[in-house]
Amino acid sequence: MSLFTPEFGLVFWMLVIFLILLGVLGKYAWPVIIKSMEERAAFIDQGVEFTREAEKDREQAKADARGLLTDARKQQLDILQQTERTKQEIIDNAQQTAAHEARRIMESAKLSIEQAKTEAELQLRRQTGLLSLQIAEQVIRRNLASEEAQMELIDQLLKEAGE
Amino acid sequence: MCQLRFQRDSRVAFLALLCLVPLMGFARPAGEEEEKFDLKEVIFTHLGDEYSWELLGGAEIHLPVIVRDDAGEWHCFSSGRLTDGKEYEGFYIAHEGSYAHKVVGRTLAGEEYRPLDFSITKNVVAIGIGALLTVWMAFALARFYKRNRFKAPRKGVGFIESLVEMVYQEVIVEVLEKDARRFAPYLLSLFFFILLSNVLGMMVVFPGGANVTGNISVTLVLALCTFVVVNISGTRHYWREIFWPEVPMWLKVPIPLMPLIEVFGMITKPVALMVRLCANMLGGHLIALVLVSLIFLLGALGDAVMGGTIVVSIIFSLFMNVLHLLIAFIQAYVFMMLSTIFIRLARE
Repeated sequence: MSLFTPEFGLVFWMLVIFLILLGVLGKYAWPVIIKSMEERAAFIDQGVEFTREAEKDREQAKADARGLLTDARKQQLDILQQTERTKQEIIDNAQQTAAHEARRIMESAKLSIEQAKTEAELQLRRQTGLLSLQIAEQVIRRNLASEEAQMELIDQLLKEAGE
Repeated sequence: MCQLRFQRDSRVAFLALLCLVPLMGFARPAGEEEEKFDLKEVIFTHLGDEYSWELLGGAEIHLPVIVRDDAGEWHCFSSGRLTDGKEYEGFYIAHEGSYAHKVVGRTLAGEEYRPLDFSITKNVVAIGIGALLTVWMAFALARFYKRNRFKAPRKGVGFIESLVEMVYQEVIVEVLEKDARRFAPYLLSLFFFILLSNVLGMMVVFPGGANVTGNISVTLVLALCTFVVVNISGTRHYWREIFWPEVPMWLKVPIPLMPLIEVFGMITKPVALMVRLCANMLGGHLIALVLVSLIFLLGALGDAVMGGTIVVSIIFSLFMNVLHLLIAFIQAYVFMMLSTIFIRLARE
C-alpha cells in the first residue's frame, strides 16, 4: 500500500528541514529559554528566601523594640521615683533649714530683747537713782524744818514723779 | 437567568436550523449533472502526497517537480504542466498501478518507471510551514526572555511557556535528571514540531490540511532521529546489555540468541514510535474524511437522506475532531516522552 511505503524524496526533505530546525532551535532558542526559565525560578526562590529572612528579622526587631520599650518604661518609673524622693528631700532640707534659721532668729531676737530689757532696767535704775538724787537735792536745798513741810515736799515730789 | 434563557433559545434555534437542512435538500434544482463519487480515490488523494496544493475555491498552488530520469539527468518544472494527465519532458502523473498519484516516466522501451523524485510536494511545504511555525514560536519565547529578564510572559507567549515548562520540567528533567540540559533541545524541538504539524494537519484550508504526521516518511525520519540520538548517547553499560547481557552462557555463546533479541528490541522501539504516530494521525484524518464523504456517498440515495446525513455527519465530525485534537496533543507528548525514556535507558 502506497500509504505505508516511505517516499525517498519526502524522507530526504523531511530530514533536511528537521535537521535545520534542530540546529537553529538547539543553538539559538532552547538554551536561552531553559536558561531564562531556570534563572527566573532561582530568582523567585531567592526572593522567597529573602522575604522569609526579612520576616524573621522583622519579628526579631519587633521583639527587641518591645523589650527596649519595657526597659525604658521601667527606667522612667525609677527616675520619676528618684525625682520624687529627691524633691521630698530638698523640701525637707529646706524646711529644716528654715526652722533652724527661724529658731536662730528668734533666739537672737530674744537675746536682743533681753539686752534691751537689761539696758532699760539699767536706765530705769539710773533714772530712779537720778530722780532720787534730784529729790534728795531738792530736799536738801529746801528748809526742811517741819515734819509737815517734809511730808508736803515728799508728797509733792512723789506727785511730780508720778506724773 | 436571562442569559440562560438566551442560551437555551439559541440552542433551540440551532437545532431547528439543523432540522431545516433536509428540507433544503429538496430545494435544489433538479436535473443537475451528478458526478460519480469515488470514495477511495478521494480519501487516498487527501491522505497521500500531492504535487500541488489546492486552496479554497478550486485555486491551486503548483509546486515544483524535481526529478532525475533514468539517464541521470535532472528535470525541474512546475507541477502545473502535469495537471489533467498532461505529459511534460516525458513525465506524467500515474493514475493507477503501484505508482498511482506519483510522477513517473517512460523508459526507451516504453516501460513505466519511477524517477528519483525530489519534488517539493505538498507535504514538503507543510513540513516547512510546521518547522517555521516551531521556529517562530520558540523565538517568540526566547525574545521575550531577552527583553524582560525575570518576568513571566502572559497570553500567547505565556501559553507557549507553560507548554515548554510542562515538557521540560515534568518530563525531561524528571526522567533525565542531570542529562536534561543536553537532550532538552532535541526533545523540545521534537515535541513542538509534532504538535504543530498535528494541529496544522487538522486545519482544512491552506496552510493546514496536509497529512504530515500521518505520513510514514515523516514519522520515519522522526523515529530515525530518536534512534540515532539514543544509540549515540548510549553508555558502555547500554551496549553491554545488548551484546553481552547477564544471562546463562548458552543463551549467547554458540548462537547469540539474546544479543539478537536485544538488537531486535533496539530497532522495534523507534519502529513502534514511527507506526504509532503515523497510524494515529492517519486514523484521525481518515475518520474526518469518511464522515464528510458520507454526505456525498449517501447523497446518491436521495436529497432527504443527504440532508439527514449532513446533520449526523457534522455532529459526528465535530465530536471526532475534538477527540482528534486531544490525540494530536497526546501523540506529540507520547512521542517525546518515549524518546526521553529511551534516552534515559541508554544512559543508565
